[in-house]
Amino acid sequence: MTFGLTWLLTLLLIAFPYPSFLLFVLPHFGYLYVTWWGLMRNYQLSMTLLLVSSLPVDVLYGTALGLHGLLFASIAYALTLLGPSIRQVNWLRQSTVIFVVLMVASAISYWVRTLTGQSPEFYILLLQALFSALFWSPIRWLYDFLAQYTRDSEVQR
Amino acid sequence: MRPLFSETSVAAVRLIVAVIFSVATIFIDSRFDALTLVRQAIKTGLWPVEQLSFLPGKLVGELIQWSQSQNLIVQRLESIALENQRLKTEQLKLHSLRAENAELRRLLGVKERVNERLLQAQIERLSNDPFIHRATINRGLLAGVMIGQPVISADGLVGQVVVTYPNTADVLMMTDATHHLPVQVTRTRERAIAVGVGRMDRIELRNLPDTVDIVPGDIIETSGLGGRFQPGIPVAEVKEVIRAPGQPFAWVVAEPLAPLARLSLVMVDLSKGGS
Repeated sequence: MTFGLTWLLTLLLIAFPYPSFLLFVLPHFGYLYVTWWGLMRNYQLSMTLLLVSSLPVDVLYGTALGLHGLLFASIAYALTLLGPSIRQVNWLRQSTVIFVVLMVASAISYWVRTLTGQSPEFYILLLQALFSALFWSPIRWLYDFLAQYTRDSEVQR
Repeated sequence: MRPLFSETSVAAVRLIVAVIFSVATIFIDSRFDALTLVRQAIKTGLWPVEQLSFLPGKLVGELIQWSQSQNLIVQRLESIALENQRLKTEQLKLHSLRAENAELRRLLGVKERVNERLLQAQIERLSNDPFIHRATINRGLLAGVMIGQPVISADGLVGQVVVTYPNTADVLMMTDATHHLPVQVTRTRERAIAVGVGRMDRIELRNLPDTVDIVPGDIIETSGLGGRFQPGIPVAEVKEVIRAPGQPFAWVVAEPLAPLARLSLVMVDLSKGGS
Protein backbone atom coordinates (compact mmCIF):
# COMPACT_ATOMS: atom_id res chain seq x y z
CA MET A 1 0.00 0.00 0.00
CA THR A 2 2.86 2.40 0.81
CA PHE A 3 4.41 1.66 -2.56
CA GLY A 4 1.14 2.34 -4.39
CA LEU A 5 0.49 5.59 -2.53
CA THR A 6 4.00 7.00 -2.97
CA TRP A 7 3.92 6.00 -6.64
CA LEU A 8 0.55 7.71 -7.19
CA LEU A 9 1.74 10.85 -5.43
CA THR A 10 4.86 10.87 -7.61
CA LEU A 11 2.80 10.49 -10.79
CA LEU A 12 0.53 13.33 -9.66
CA LEU A 13 3.53 15.59 -8.98
CA ILE A 14 4.97 14.75 -12.41
CA ALA A 15 1.67 15.16 -14.30
CA PHE A 16 0.84 18.53 -12.72
CA PRO A 17 0.85 21.21 -15.46
CA TYR A 18 3.56 23.58 -14.20
CA PRO A 19 4.14 26.93 -15.90
CA SER A 20 6.93 26.63 -18.47
CA PHE A 21 9.21 29.14 -16.68
CA LEU A 22 9.34 26.77 -13.68
CA LEU A 23 10.66 23.82 -15.70
CA PHE A 24 14.31 24.66 -15.04
CA VAL A 25 13.93 24.88 -11.27
CA LEU A 26 11.68 21.86 -10.82
CA PRO A 27 13.07 18.77 -9.12
CA HIS A 28 12.71 15.43 -10.86
CA PHE A 29 10.03 13.86 -8.69
CA GLY A 30 10.73 10.42 -10.17
CA TYR A 31 14.34 10.59 -8.95
CA LEU A 32 13.17 11.58 -5.47
CA TYR A 33 10.70 8.71 -5.36
CA VAL A 34 13.47 6.18 -6.18
CA THR A 35 15.80 7.95 -3.77
CA TRP A 36 13.33 7.47 -0.94
CA TRP A 37 12.80 3.81 -1.76
CA GLY A 38 16.49 3.15 -2.39
CA LEU A 39 17.57 4.87 0.79
CA MET A 40 14.79 4.26 3.30
CA ARG A 41 13.03 1.08 2.14
CA ASN A 42 15.42 -0.80 -0.14
CA TYR A 43 14.68 -4.08 1.68
CA GLN A 44 11.05 -3.82 0.44
CA LEU A 45 11.64 -2.84 -3.18
CA SER A 46 11.84 -5.26 -6.10
CA MET A 47 13.65 -4.49 -9.35
CA THR A 48 10.72 -5.68 -11.50
CA LEU A 49 8.35 -3.34 -9.68
CA LEU A 50 10.84 -0.51 -10.10
CA LEU A 51 11.11 -1.09 -13.86
CA VAL A 52 7.34 -1.40 -14.31
CA SER A 53 6.68 1.72 -12.24
CA SER A 54 9.14 3.70 -14.39
CA LEU A 55 7.14 3.19 -17.61
CA PRO A 56 4.32 5.65 -16.73
CA VAL A 57 7.01 8.19 -15.85
CA ASP A 58 8.42 7.79 -19.38
CA VAL A 59 4.95 8.26 -20.83
CA LEU A 60 4.24 11.39 -18.75
CA TYR A 61 7.56 13.00 -19.68
CA GLY A 62 7.35 11.84 -23.30
CA THR A 63 10.79 10.22 -23.19
CA ALA A 64 11.71 6.91 -24.83
CA LEU A 65 10.27 3.96 -22.90
CA GLY A 66 12.99 2.47 -20.73
CA LEU A 67 14.96 5.66 -20.08
CA HIS A 68 13.63 6.12 -16.56
CA GLY A 69 13.93 2.37 -15.91
CA LEU A 70 17.65 2.66 -16.59
CA LEU A 71 18.00 5.77 -14.42
CA PHE A 72 15.87 4.40 -11.59
CA ALA A 73 17.85 1.14 -11.51
CA SER A 74 21.16 3.02 -11.39
CA ILE A 75 19.99 5.38 -8.63
CA ALA A 76 18.50 2.54 -6.57
CA TYR A 77 21.70 0.50 -6.92
CA ALA A 78 23.96 3.37 -5.86
CA LEU A 79 21.78 4.38 -2.94
CA THR A 80 21.36 0.82 -1.73
CA LEU A 81 25.12 0.52 -1.50
CA LEU A 82 25.46 3.92 0.18
CA GLY A 83 22.27 3.60 2.24
CA PRO A 84 23.62 2.34 5.60
CA SER A 85 26.26 5.06 5.79
CA ILE A 86 24.08 8.04 4.92
CA ARG A 87 20.69 7.09 6.35
CA GLN A 88 21.51 8.49 9.78
CA VAL A 89 23.36 11.68 8.82
CA ASN A 90 21.72 15.12 8.72
CA TRP A 91 19.66 16.32 5.75
CA LEU A 92 22.42 18.53 4.34
CA ARG A 93 24.90 15.66 4.05
CA GLN A 94 22.19 13.39 2.67
CA SER A 95 21.29 16.02 0.06
CA THR A 96 24.96 16.36 -0.92
CA VAL A 97 25.36 12.61 -1.48
CA ILE A 98 22.04 12.50 -3.35
CA PHE A 99 23.20 15.38 -5.55
CA VAL A 100 26.33 13.42 -6.52
CA VAL A 101 24.30 10.27 -7.27
CA LEU A 102 21.75 12.24 -9.31
CA MET A 103 24.58 13.95 -11.21
CA VAL A 104 25.78 10.52 -12.33
CA ALA A 105 22.18 9.67 -13.31
CA SER A 106 22.02 12.96 -15.24
CA ALA A 107 25.17 12.02 -17.13
CA ILE A 108 23.55 8.69 -18.13
CA SER A 109 20.38 10.57 -19.10
CA TYR A 110 22.43 13.01 -21.21
CA TRP A 111 24.17 10.16 -23.00
CA VAL A 112 20.93 8.25 -23.77
CA ARG A 113 19.08 11.38 -24.86
CA THR A 114 21.89 12.31 -27.24
CA LEU A 115 21.78 8.81 -28.72
CA THR A 116 18.01 9.08 -29.27
CA GLY A 117 18.27 12.32 -31.26
CA GLN A 118 17.60 14.98 -28.65
CA SER A 119 19.98 17.86 -28.01
CA PRO A 120 20.01 18.21 -24.23
CA GLU A 121 22.06 20.79 -22.43
CA PHE A 122 24.00 19.26 -19.57
CA TYR A 123 23.74 22.27 -17.28
CA ILE A 124 19.92 21.95 -17.27
CA LEU A 125 20.23 18.31 -16.23
CA LEU A 126 22.64 19.41 -13.50
CA LEU A 127 20.20 22.07 -12.33
CA GLN A 128 17.52 19.38 -12.17
CA ALA A 129 19.82 17.20 -10.02
CA LEU A 130 20.61 20.17 -7.78
CA PHE A 131 16.97 21.11 -7.23
CA SER A 132 16.07 17.46 -6.67
CA ALA A 133 18.71 17.27 -3.94
CA LEU A 134 17.42 20.52 -2.40
CA PHE A 135 13.85 19.19 -2.42
CA TRP A 136 14.92 15.91 -0.83
CA SER A 137 14.12 16.95 2.71
CA PRO A 138 10.46 18.03 2.23
CA ILE A 139 9.76 15.13 -0.13
CA ARG A 140 11.25 12.68 2.36
CA TRP A 141 9.02 14.15 5.04
CA LEU A 142 5.98 13.72 2.73
CA TYR A 143 6.77 10.08 1.91
CA ASP A 144 7.56 9.33 5.58
CA PHE A 145 4.17 10.77 6.47
CA LEU A 146 2.46 8.56 3.85
CA ALA A 147 4.35 5.49 5.08
CA GLN A 148 3.39 6.28 8.66
CA TYR A 149 -0.25 6.78 7.63
CA THR A 150 -0.45 3.46 5.79
CA ARG A 151 1.25 1.64 8.67
CA ASP A 152 -1.24 3.13 11.14
CA SER A 153 -4.14 2.11 8.89
CA GLU A 154 -2.83 -1.45 8.67
CA VAL A 155 -2.36 -1.66 12.44
CA GLN A 156 -5.90 -0.41 13.03
CA ARG A 157 -7.25 -3.05 10.68
CA MET B 1 7.76 -7.73 -1.90
CA ARG B 2 11.10 -9.40 -2.44
CA PRO B 3 14.18 -7.50 -1.27
CA LEU B 4 15.97 -5.55 -3.98
CA PHE B 5 19.65 -6.06 -3.20
CA SER B 6 20.44 -8.57 -0.48
CA GLU B 7 24.10 -9.01 -1.44
CA THR B 8 26.39 -6.85 -3.51
CA SER B 9 26.94 -9.51 -6.19
CA VAL B 10 23.22 -10.22 -6.47
CA ALA B 11 22.63 -6.50 -6.62
CA ALA B 12 25.12 -6.14 -9.47
CA VAL B 13 23.48 -8.99 -11.41
CA ARG B 14 20.05 -7.43 -10.95
CA LEU B 15 21.38 -4.07 -12.05
CA ILE B 16 22.90 -5.62 -15.19
CA VAL B 17 19.59 -7.35 -16.03
CA ALA B 18 17.70 -4.08 -15.48
CA VAL B 19 20.18 -2.16 -17.65
CA ILE B 20 19.93 -4.71 -20.48
CA PHE B 21 16.11 -4.63 -20.31
CA SER B 22 16.01 -0.82 -20.25
CA VAL B 23 18.50 -0.34 -23.08
CA ALA B 24 16.61 -2.87 -25.23
CA THR B 25 13.34 -1.04 -24.53
CA ILE B 26 14.88 2.34 -25.36
CA PHE B 27 16.33 0.95 -28.61
CA ILE B 28 13.05 -0.67 -29.71
CA ASP B 29 10.97 2.40 -28.81
CA SER B 30 13.21 5.03 -30.38
CA ARG B 31 14.29 3.18 -33.51
CA PHE B 32 11.27 1.10 -34.51
CA ASP B 33 8.25 2.81 -32.88
CA ALA B 34 7.16 -0.72 -31.97
CA LEU B 35 5.90 0.14 -28.49
CA THR B 36 3.15 2.58 -29.47
CA LEU B 37 0.48 0.17 -28.22
CA VAL B 38 2.21 -0.11 -24.83
CA ARG B 39 2.44 3.69 -24.64
CA GLN B 40 -1.24 4.02 -25.57
CA ALA B 41 -2.27 1.47 -22.93
CA ILE B 42 -0.22 3.18 -20.19
CA LYS B 43 -1.48 6.64 -21.14
CA THR B 44 -5.08 5.42 -21.08
CA GLY B 45 -4.46 4.00 -17.60
CA LEU B 46 -2.98 7.34 -16.52
CA TRP B 47 -6.10 9.26 -17.54
CA PRO B 48 -7.52 9.52 -13.95
CA VAL B 49 -4.13 10.64 -12.61
CA GLU B 50 -3.86 13.34 -15.27
CA GLN B 51 -7.41 14.56 -14.65
CA LEU B 52 -6.67 14.73 -10.92
CA SER B 53 -3.50 16.73 -11.57
CA PHE B 54 -5.48 19.28 -13.63
CA LEU B 55 -7.94 19.81 -10.78
CA PRO B 56 -6.01 22.51 -8.82
CA GLY B 57 -5.48 24.56 -12.00
CA LYS B 58 -9.14 24.25 -12.95
CA LEU B 59 -10.25 25.24 -9.46
CA VAL B 60 -8.01 28.32 -9.50
CA GLY B 61 -9.39 29.25 -12.93
CA GLU B 62 -12.96 28.91 -11.69
CA LEU B 63 -12.13 30.97 -8.63
CA ILE B 64 -10.62 33.75 -10.75
CA GLN B 65 -13.68 33.76 -13.03
CA TRP B 66 -15.99 33.86 -10.03
CA SER B 67 -14.10 36.73 -8.42
CA GLN B 68 -14.17 38.89 -11.55
CA SER B 69 -16.72 41.66 -11.27
CA GLN B 70 -19.71 41.77 -13.59
CA ASN B 71 -18.40 44.99 -15.14
CA LEU B 72 -15.25 43.25 -16.28
CA ILE B 73 -17.25 40.42 -17.80
CA VAL B 74 -19.53 42.88 -19.64
CA GLN B 75 -16.47 44.74 -20.96
CA ARG B 76 -14.93 41.49 -22.13
CA LEU B 77 -18.17 40.45 -23.84
CA GLU B 78 -18.31 43.80 -25.65
CA SER B 79 -14.74 43.44 -26.88
CA ILE B 80 -15.47 39.87 -28.02
CA ALA B 81 -18.60 41.09 -29.89
CA LEU B 82 -16.51 43.77 -31.63
CA GLU B 83 -13.83 41.23 -32.53
CA ASN B 84 -16.54 38.93 -33.84
CA GLN B 85 -17.90 41.70 -36.10
CA ARG B 86 -14.40 42.36 -37.44
CA LEU B 87 -13.83 38.67 -38.13
CA LYS B 88 -17.17 38.39 -39.94
CA THR B 89 -16.17 41.23 -42.23
CA GLU B 90 -12.80 39.56 -42.82
CA GLN B 91 -14.61 36.31 -43.58
CA LEU B 92 -16.73 38.02 -46.25
CA LYS B 93 -13.53 39.26 -47.90
CA LEU B 94 -12.06 35.78 -47.60
CA HIS B 95 -15.10 34.23 -49.32
CA SER B 96 -14.74 36.53 -52.30
CA LEU B 97 -10.96 35.93 -52.43
CA ARG B 98 -11.48 32.18 -52.23
CA ALA B 99 -13.97 32.29 -55.12
CA GLU B 100 -11.57 34.44 -57.13
CA ASN B 101 -8.70 32.08 -56.36
CA ALA B 102 -10.74 29.04 -57.39
CA GLU B 103 -11.68 30.75 -60.68
CA LEU B 104 -8.04 31.65 -61.41
CA ARG B 105 -6.93 28.10 -60.60
CA ARG B 106 -9.65 26.74 -62.93
CA LEU B 107 -8.49 29.06 -65.72
CA LEU B 108 -4.86 28.03 -65.19
CA GLY B 109 -5.80 24.37 -65.03
CA VAL B 110 -4.31 23.96 -61.55
CA LYS B 111 -5.92 21.46 -59.22
CA GLU B 112 -7.90 23.09 -56.41
CA ARG B 113 -6.54 22.79 -52.92
CA VAL B 114 -8.39 20.55 -50.56
CA ASN B 115 -10.40 22.53 -48.02
CA GLU B 116 -9.17 22.11 -44.48
CA ARG B 117 -11.37 20.32 -41.97
CA LEU B 118 -10.23 21.84 -38.74
CA LEU B 119 -10.97 20.43 -35.32
CA GLN B 120 -10.61 22.72 -32.34
CA ALA B 121 -8.67 21.29 -29.43
CA GLN B 122 -7.33 22.53 -26.14
CA ILE B 123 -3.79 21.97 -24.89
CA GLU B 124 -4.10 20.14 -21.60
CA ARG B 125 -0.46 20.04 -20.64
CA LEU B 126 3.04 20.47 -21.96
CA SER B 127 5.69 17.88 -21.18
CA ASN B 128 7.51 18.77 -17.97
CA ASP B 129 10.77 17.53 -19.47
CA PRO B 130 12.77 20.61 -20.53
CA PHE B 131 14.15 18.87 -23.64
CA ILE B 132 10.93 17.40 -24.98
CA HIS B 133 8.51 19.75 -26.68
CA ARG B 134 5.32 17.76 -26.66
CA ALA B 135 1.81 18.88 -25.80
CA THR B 136 -1.21 16.78 -24.92
CA ILE B 137 -4.45 17.94 -26.54
CA ASN B 138 -7.94 17.00 -25.41
CA ARG B 139 -8.98 15.36 -28.71
CA GLY B 140 -8.04 11.86 -29.74
CA LEU B 141 -8.94 8.89 -31.89
CA LEU B 142 -12.64 9.19 -31.06
CA ALA B 143 -12.70 12.72 -32.54
CA GLY B 144 -10.92 11.57 -35.71
CA VAL B 145 -7.40 12.65 -34.80
CA MET B 146 -4.70 10.52 -36.42
CA ILE B 147 -0.92 10.34 -36.33
CA GLY B 148 0.75 12.78 -38.72
CA GLN B 149 -2.02 15.38 -38.82
CA PRO B 150 -0.78 18.98 -38.64
CA VAL B 151 -1.68 21.13 -35.64
CA ILE B 152 -1.96 24.88 -36.15
CA SER B 153 -2.90 27.91 -34.08
CA ALA B 154 -4.28 31.32 -35.00
CA ASP B 155 -0.71 32.60 -35.44
CA GLY B 156 0.91 29.73 -37.29
CA LEU B 157 2.05 26.13 -37.27
CA VAL B 158 2.43 24.33 -33.95
CA GLY B 159 3.54 20.83 -34.92
CA GLN B 160 2.06 17.44 -35.71
CA VAL B 161 0.27 14.61 -33.96
CA VAL B 162 2.67 11.80 -33.03
CA VAL B 163 0.70 9.54 -30.70
CA THR B 164 -3.06 9.18 -30.43
CA TYR B 165 -5.13 7.87 -27.52
CA PRO B 166 -8.91 7.45 -27.34
CA ASN B 167 -9.59 10.90 -25.87
CA THR B 168 -6.27 12.71 -26.16
CA ALA B 169 -3.29 12.99 -28.49
CA ASP B 170 0.36 13.97 -28.18
CA VAL B 171 1.56 16.76 -30.45
CA LEU B 172 5.25 17.05 -31.28
CA MET B 173 6.00 20.75 -31.55
CA MET B 174 8.15 22.03 -34.39
CA THR B 175 10.76 23.26 -31.89
CA ASP B 176 11.52 19.73 -30.63
CA ALA B 177 15.04 18.66 -31.53
CA THR B 178 13.71 15.60 -33.39
CA HIS B 179 11.32 17.60 -35.61
CA HIS B 180 12.17 18.46 -39.22
CA LEU B 181 9.87 20.52 -41.41
CA PRO B 182 10.02 21.34 -45.14
CA VAL B 183 9.59 25.12 -45.47
CA GLN B 184 9.99 27.98 -47.92
CA VAL B 185 10.57 31.68 -47.54
CA THR B 186 7.37 33.51 -48.49
CA ARG B 187 9.16 36.36 -50.27
CA THR B 188 11.67 34.41 -52.37
CA ARG B 189 10.23 30.84 -52.44
CA GLU B 190 13.63 29.62 -51.26
CA ARG B 191 13.19 26.10 -49.91
CA ALA B 192 14.82 24.60 -46.82
CA ILE B 193 14.34 22.24 -43.92
CA ALA B 194 13.53 23.84 -40.57
CA VAL B 195 14.83 21.90 -37.59
CA GLY B 196 13.95 22.30 -33.95
CA VAL B 197 16.80 22.89 -31.52
CA GLY B 198 14.99 22.19 -28.24
CA ARG B 199 14.13 25.81 -27.51
CA MET B 200 10.55 27.09 -27.66
CA ASP B 201 11.61 30.39 -29.24
CA ARG B 202 13.88 29.09 -31.96
CA ILE B 203 14.07 26.95 -35.10
CA GLU B 204 16.95 26.86 -37.55
CA LEU B 205 17.47 26.52 -41.29
CA ARG B 206 20.87 24.93 -41.74
CA ASN B 207 23.30 24.43 -44.59
CA LEU B 208 21.81 26.97 -46.98
CA PRO B 209 23.97 28.32 -49.84
CA ASP B 210 25.96 31.33 -48.69
CA THR B 211 24.33 33.44 -51.40
CA VAL B 212 20.79 32.65 -50.26
CA ASP B 213 18.38 35.60 -50.39
CA ILE B 214 16.96 35.64 -46.88
CA VAL B 215 16.92 38.67 -44.60
CA PRO B 216 15.75 39.21 -41.02
CA GLY B 217 12.01 39.84 -40.99
CA ASP B 218 11.21 37.33 -43.75
CA ILE B 219 8.33 34.99 -43.05
CA ILE B 220 8.86 31.26 -43.38
CA GLU B 221 5.91 29.06 -44.35
CA THR B 222 5.36 25.37 -45.02
CA SER B 223 6.34 24.34 -48.54
CA GLY B 224 4.01 21.36 -48.74
CA LEU B 225 6.86 19.07 -49.80
CA GLY B 226 6.46 15.62 -48.32
CA GLY B 227 2.69 15.99 -48.40
CA ARG B 228 2.25 16.13 -44.65
CA PHE B 229 1.48 19.84 -44.30
CA GLN B 230 -0.61 22.10 -46.53
CA PRO B 231 1.61 24.62 -48.31
CA GLY B 232 1.45 28.20 -47.08
CA ILE B 233 0.96 27.74 -43.34
CA PRO B 234 3.00 30.49 -41.60
CA VAL B 235 5.76 28.98 -39.49
CA ALA B 236 8.28 31.52 -38.23
CA GLU B 237 9.92 34.89 -38.70
CA VAL B 238 13.60 35.11 -39.60
CA LYS B 239 15.58 36.76 -36.81
CA GLU B 240 19.18 36.29 -37.89
CA VAL B 241 21.13 35.13 -40.92
CA ILE B 242 24.59 33.89 -40.00
CA ARG B 243 27.22 33.92 -42.76
CA ALA B 244 30.57 32.81 -41.41
CA PRO B 245 33.51 34.11 -43.49
CA GLY B 246 35.14 31.32 -45.49
CA GLN B 247 32.27 28.92 -44.92
CA PRO B 248 30.17 27.72 -47.88
CA PHE B 249 26.91 27.55 -45.95
CA ALA B 250 24.67 30.09 -44.27
CA TRP B 251 22.67 29.49 -41.12
CA VAL B 252 19.25 31.02 -40.45
CA VAL B 253 17.71 31.47 -37.01
CA ALA B 254 13.96 32.04 -36.86
CA GLU B 255 11.36 32.51 -34.15
CA PRO B 256 8.07 30.56 -34.37
CA LEU B 257 5.06 32.79 -34.97
CA ALA B 258 2.84 30.77 -32.64
CA PRO B 259 3.57 31.44 -28.95
CA LEU B 260 4.22 27.76 -28.24
CA ALA B 261 4.83 28.07 -24.50
CA ARG B 262 1.61 29.99 -23.90
CA LEU B 263 -0.81 28.29 -26.30
CA SER B 264 -4.12 26.99 -25.08
CA LEU B 265 -6.31 26.59 -28.18
CA VAL B 266 -5.15 24.85 -31.35
CA MET B 267 -6.67 23.33 -34.50
CA VAL B 268 -6.01 19.86 -35.86
CA ASP B 269 -6.16 19.64 -39.66
CA LEU B 270 -8.30 16.54 -40.16
CA SER B 271 -8.19 16.82 -43.97
CA LYS B 272 -4.65 15.47 -43.93
CA GLY B 273 -4.79 11.70 -43.70
CA GLY B 274 -2.93 10.20 -40.79
CA SER B 275 -0.51 7.32 -40.93
